[in-house]
Amino acid sequence: MFKMSEYTFVAAALCLGLASLIYLAYAVSGLRAGMLRTAGGPGGASSTVTFASGPYTSELGRYGTIIGWLAMVTLTVSLIFRTIATGHGPFANMYEFSIAFAWGILVAYYWFERRYSQRILAVVAMPVALGLMLYAVTIPSTIEPLVPALQNNLLLTIHVAVAIVAYGSFTVGFGAALLYLVQPEQGRWGLPKPKILEEIGYRAIVVGFPFLTLTVILGAVWAEVAWGKYWSWDPKETASLLTWLIYATYLHARVVRGWRAKRAAWLLMLGFAATLFTYFGNLYFGGLHSYAGLAQ
Amino acid sequence: MAQTLQTSSAPGDARITGAIPAGAASAGLLDGILDGLWHGLTSMRFAIALTLIAAALSFVGALVMQAPAGVLADANAKAAWIAQVRPKYGAFTDVFDALQVFNIFNSLWFRLVGGLLVASITACTAHRTPAVWRTATKPTVDVGEAFFEHAPQHEAMVVHRSADEALAAVRTVLGKRRFRTLVHNDGTMHLYADRNRWGPFGSLVGHLAFVVILAGAMIGGALGFQNPDFTIAEGSTLTVPSATGLSIRLDAFRDSYDPATGMPLDYASQVVLFEDGTEVARHTIRVNDPLRYDGISFFQSFFGPAVILSATADGGSPLFSGGVPLAWSADDSDRAIGTLDLPGTGKVAWVAGTSGGNDTVVRPGQLLVEIYQADGAGTLVERKTIDQGVATTVGGVTFTFQREEKFTGLAISRDPGAPLIWLGSLLLFGGFVLVLMFPHRRLWGRIAPRPDGGATLLVGSIGRKDTTAGIEFTELVNDLRAVLHAPART
Ligand code: HEM
Repeated sequence: MFKMSEYTFVAAALCLGLASLIYLAYAVSGLRAGMLRTAGGPGGASSTVTFASGPYTSELGRYGTIIGWLAMVTLTVSLIFRTIATGHGPFANMYEFSIAFAWGILVAYYWFERRYSQRILAVVAMPVALGLMLYAVTIPSTIEPLVPALQNNLLLTIHVAVAIVAYGSFTVGFGAALLYLVQPEQGRWGLPKPKILEEIGYRAIVVGFPFLTLTVILGAVWAEVAWGKYWSWDPKETASLLTWLIYATYLHARVVRGWRAKRAAWLLMLGFAATLFTYFGNLYFGGLHSYAGLAQ
Repeated sequence: MAQTLQTSSAPGDARITGAIPAGAASAGLLDGILDGLWHGLTSMRFAIALTLIAAALSFVGALVMQAPAGVLADANAKAAWIAQVRPKYGAFTDVFDALQVFNIFNSLWFRLVGGLLVASITACTAHRTPAVWRTATKPTVDVGEAFFEHAPQHEAMVVHRSADEALAAVRTVLGKRRFRTLVHNDGTMHLYADRNRWGPFGSLVGHLAFVVILAGAMIGGALGFQNPDFTIAEGSTLTVPSATGLSIRLDAFRDSYDPATGMPLDYASQVVLFEDGTEVARHTIRVNDPLRYDGISFFQSFFGPAVILSATADGGSPLFSGGVPLAWSADDSDRAIGTLDLPGTGKVAWVAGTSGGNDTVVRPGQLLVEIYQADGAGTLVERKTIDQGVATTVGGVTFTFQREEKFTGLAISRDPGAPLIWLGSLLLFGGFVLVLMFPHRRLWGRIAPRPDGGATLLVGSIGRKDTTAGIEFTELVNDLRAVLHAPART
């Protein structure tokens, strides 16, 4: 089982790398076409709603999606094998958590791709997922017994699974905000219109925020059961509170004039930075969460 | 949603800010101040500023080391702690200390922001409730014809059915989509339909939940107690601090490790709890399995070596007999040390175990005993290494070191605020799920009979002008068309 999970992991990483490349080619192809058109006709700002304008663009996009799906499926299988091999959800150390994070990004991204058909978001989401996979490669994948604090299968599984959904959604929100911020208001380069990006960003947080809320609450429940204190201002707890506050600010900003557009998008960027800070924070600040599987 | 409320022209959505008469003419200075305060507290910009500041303070708190609980209250411990972090923060150390950065979550800043958040949330919720209530319970059914031309989503169709048949068909279509329908008939039929009308209440609940959680935290802080380092040796019975009549006995402590990697697998303390001398609970406390009794909880926290010894006074009267946890470590060596009172002698004893094979002063099987005056000055009376099983007199007290055992370190707490914390958490999550995932959708319609026996149907919606709402509306219109066999009018 362990071997199988390793093989499928490698397969998933390769697929993901390939998908990233194809999506990149897709983006380049579409952007070139978009730029030509912008420069050319009197139409100026193009009115395309979807991003598929070059000769090979939509073809490339389709292949990207197929390979990306393949990556998602193999990664799912890999996580299942690993779960069987370890006897607990694949969430117990940085290695498992990184793969699960990458998986969460893929799931969130494909959910949004199906719903909004904006493949260009993949240019942001895929490399982030790939980065996490590559990061996982640098961590030993050996299976070790759980330290006593982690021996709470139910809470461990739900707490982290819920976090994964939140983080995956936030990554999509980040992608939308990034594409939003590189364009002027009326759009540019045939990229998805700011309005649709704004909507995708919002949807991502509508899903991510409640899940982050639940993550924090379950963390508090677990802390109470394991350590006797639901909140200790442990750096990881603090960082997740910070992330939560930023996304709450974002939800408010969206309904305030002057905050709605650019600033709201900046809040999404900030929120994602805080997400990464929460995630990688262990490496820097130690604290109660510091047993998360790295050589100490 | 507020955006909808602000940008739409749907009647019946009178924004309450607009509904408040613009200050009675006789408004005095106080009224002006109160008005301003209310305005500030209910302003979204203020909320944004507050949450951002709270986030910034949290960021600082995550980055800068925080002094452990209790350290800052004790001048000596504080000085020691500050000296320890000075190399890390250099010249900033004193600035940080003055600004309470080392204790940021109890700082004036944090409390101020928390207090303002509570005030603002309370004000906001009070401010929003009437409008939310009205929108859910007293929607305007008759919106006037112009609405159907200006609504963000609108559609018109002519049907070859009677107005009554058209209404029935519209109701069926809407009912399938879980919309409720209200109708007002004055010759023309005015229609209002909505779904998830309780969704917006989730927002009120979610915001108030934040206040509930903070209240729980304050109650816990004021009325609860935390004893993070209660130590007890195997075989000992001790009274539980801050809990009248409770005492606890540790029968055994077991720690086990993975033979291959040496990683810890389990820490388990077998304890028996007594209330006024009678046994009331018996439990093996593990890291994820605390003992809870009558609002008091015992958690596995740490462990270490303990020594079993007895001490008798000069005249032979027993002073102590039992286990002493060696829960501290000495400043100048690796020895684990513990302490025991010698009642009636005016002295205290400190005992230290060996630090291992290299320890030349205290070898394995030996114990270092130091006797001090218990008078504040703490002068050393005598210091002696004693052998296991040999009664030895140190400082006028005869000690017998019987054997080594283990002690367990438990965290004991009683938190009367906890129920509020969990209630608040539930409301927080439930409330925000409700408002975010079940948005209130509203729809108006108008069915006017035509002279030819058919009818004209107008529908309009003021949902958020986004793709999702747009798609939903288009699908709805298509369904209506299919049912009514109506070609589009425009
Ligand atoms: C820690 C503090 C806060 C958190 C976590 C928070 C969270 C949220 C969330 C998640 C939403 C979006 C869902 C909804 O519409 O209810 C929201 C909306 C809202 N919040 Fe807050 N909030 C906080 C403080 C405040 C304060 C202080 C105010 C008052 C000034 C406020 C006023 C509002 C209003 C009016 C909305 C509705 C916006 C809309 O119509 O979309 N919130 N808040």
